[in-house]
Amino acid sequence: MAVTDTTETTARKPRAPWLTLRRREAIEGWLFVSPTLIGFLIFFLGPLIAVVFYSLTEWNLLSQKSTYVGLANYTDALRDNPDFWHVIRNSVIFAAGLVPLNMALALGLAVALCRPGKGVVFFRTVFFAPVITSAVAWAIVWKFLLQGEAGAVNQMLAGIGIDGPNWLREPNWAMFAVIVTRVIKMVGLNMILYIAALQAVPRDYEEAARLEGANSWQIFRMVTWPLLAPTTLIIMVITTIGSFKVFDHIYLMTGGGPENGTLVLAYYIYEQAFEFFNIGYAAALAIIMFVIVLALTVVQLLLRQKGSS
Amino acid sequence: MTLTKSLPATALALILATPLAAQELRFTVWTGNDAHLAMLNGIAESFKESHPDVTVNFETIPAGDYIQKLTFQLAGGNPPDLGWMFEDSMPAFVAAGAVQELTPALEGAEGYDLADFSEPAMGLWKDGDAIYGVPFSTSPFMIYYNKDMFDAAGLEDPLALAAKGEWDMDKFREVAKALKDSGDAYGFEFKDGQGYDTRIMHAIMPPIRAYGGYAWNEGECGFNKPEAVAAITQLHEMIFEDGSIVPPGEQGDYFSGGSAMTINQISRASRMAEAGFNWGIAPLPTGPAGASPIIGQAGLVVFSESDKPELAKEFIAHMTSAENVGVMAQFFPPARKSVLESATFTEANSLIPAEQMAGVSAAINEGNVLPSHQNSPQIGAALKPKFDALWRADADVQASLDSVCDAIQGDL
Repeated sequence: MAVTDTTETTARKPRAPWLTLRRREAIEGWLFVSPTLIGFLIFFLGPLIAVVFYSLTEWNLLSQKSTYVGLANYTDALRDNPDFWHVIRNSVIFAAGLVPLNMALALGLAVALCRPGKGVVFFRTVFFAPVITSAVAWAIVWKFLLQGEAGAVNQMLAGIGIDGPNWLREPNWAMFAVIVTRVIKMVGLNMILYIAALQAVPRDYEEAARLEGANSWQIFRMVTWPLLAPTTLIIMVITTIGSFKVFDHIYLMTGGGPENGTLVLAYYIYEQAFEFFNIGYAAALAIIMFVIVLALTVVQLLLRQKGSS
Repeated sequence: MTLTKSLPATALALILATPLAAQELRFTVWTGNDAHLAMLNGIAESFKESHPDVTVNFETIPAGDYIQKLTFQLAGGNPPDLGWMFEDSMPAFVAAGAVQELTPALEGAEGYDLADFSEPAMGLWKDGDAIYGVPFSTSPFMIYYNKDMFDAAGLEDPLALAAKGEWDMDKFREVAKALKDSGDAYGFEFKDGQGYDTRIMHAIMPPIRAYGGYAWNEGECGFNKPEAVAAITQLHEMIFEDGSIVPPGEQGDYFSGGSAMTINQISRASRMAEAGFNWGIAPLPTGPAGASPIIGQAGLVVFSESDKPELAKEFIAHMTSAENVGVMAQFFPPARKSVLESATFTEANSLIPAEQMAGVSAAINEGNVLPSHQNSPQIGAALKPKFDALWRADADVQASLDSVCDAIQGDL
């Protein structure tokens, strides 16, 4: 009997509540992140997965006919379409021109403007202002300044005896012009990042080096520059990604011309999707762009790891 | 049934019944102009006489985004019932089956008189005998000229020259150069200064047609044929030798006095009121092939995705009846011969004198639309870089036009 009693007592014992403190905290946590999480799933991850599926179809938006074509869009782009490689070449030239120029200029400006002094705040503002300027206004003004003969840039060049080119009508000069105007627009952002990093460099290191007899260039080369490495990496990664994704600037200034000289990948994708309505093909190109940017980022990270070890 | 139970049921029945009785048509347009919209709403209001429960909502999508946003609405399950359509987008919409055939509805509409529409004006909106759209604006391209600049240079203006039968391509070149040499302004500006970018066809087709050439015909490219080459050579020389046409990369806005002449449709006359100079409009210069007026069109279509297609078609018939075409003529030149010949049209435009409007009527009657193709966007994209190469001082015109043909042949 005693045994039975015991079992009954155990059975009647109140069960541990389901909502333990641990579970409660977990639920609260999920609830707190849910607005962002749901947004991420619906507006980011969902479309991202959808693009992969779209890229396997031939889908004309106008007729709304969609057929599964496997990897045909990819083979067409990579093997059969000469325009694609021309566009990749343009994107690479754009990035190769923009990234070093932007970073060198940003670093130079940051070094000049990182110490407090007279007029520093004014110049920082001047160089940062283009970043927050409307891209449309920026492009239109530059288009005006870069006219062939009547443009202000060529008028100024004529003043010092240089016969300037018709900037936006010659393929190579047009690429040069879009790179430089883009750099002037965006350099302020990288400048601010470098200023923050420079200000975080401990003064002691610099003083120690100076006591050892190092000159300013040696201090910069051997002390400051290595300490800026993490910032340099992050700036390089975001600037490279940004330069491969450039669209508005090209759309507004050259429309990909002249002679397709500034037709970059993002603009080409836009043209396929929103002018020709080839959604499947555009999706495949977007995936290719994603892979390129991802690969570049990984390479940069690996180089950094190799460099620090 | 108790009262509490029946109430929700009644409410539900009411909710279900209401939309059946009152119907809405969604109508997309690219104008945001208040006067245009007031006129359109007036036409929608008069539709209520025969369809008291139908409301027409006009939705403005800016012209630059129109086709893009429209296509996404159609594909995204949020289709408008009917709307305006650009002439160069029409073939692609017909080929894709995105617009509905209107023939039976128009033929069946009471007192409609389909034959009243001028034959060349309907060409673009038909596929064989099947009508897919009705043009509501048929606007010829005319030469706008700055009368003050012609007077200052001591030149006869294009309208006077046209009246004497001397307004041809040679004369056009001659006066453009004389104007450039005598003043600070250019002689001629392409349509809205976009002749090297988005308006290539508007820049090259008037001279090509005047010389008797064509863009393409039944899959064959015409840009490198002798007539077109002669026309483009003239333009090229005017730009790079005479310096009389605003060159690529420069700005010479006609409306602010940067050029003495330009080419545009009569709707642009609205900008002349504030221009601050005397002006006029004249026909396009004739060429070796005689007069070849060019018209630009916009039409009305019913989208295949509409769930009220019959009602939408009835509204199109209402909107393009002789009476309403007369109403719209104040802004949009008509394609109906009866309206075109009436005094109401030549006197409808307060900005343009009747004698100049007569030239407009003649151009509508005889004019042809710009070349059109179901692959228009692809052709445009393939053509542009080749024309970029052509518009350089040292370009070989024949070789450049050969490469234009090579580039677009696949899409033709």
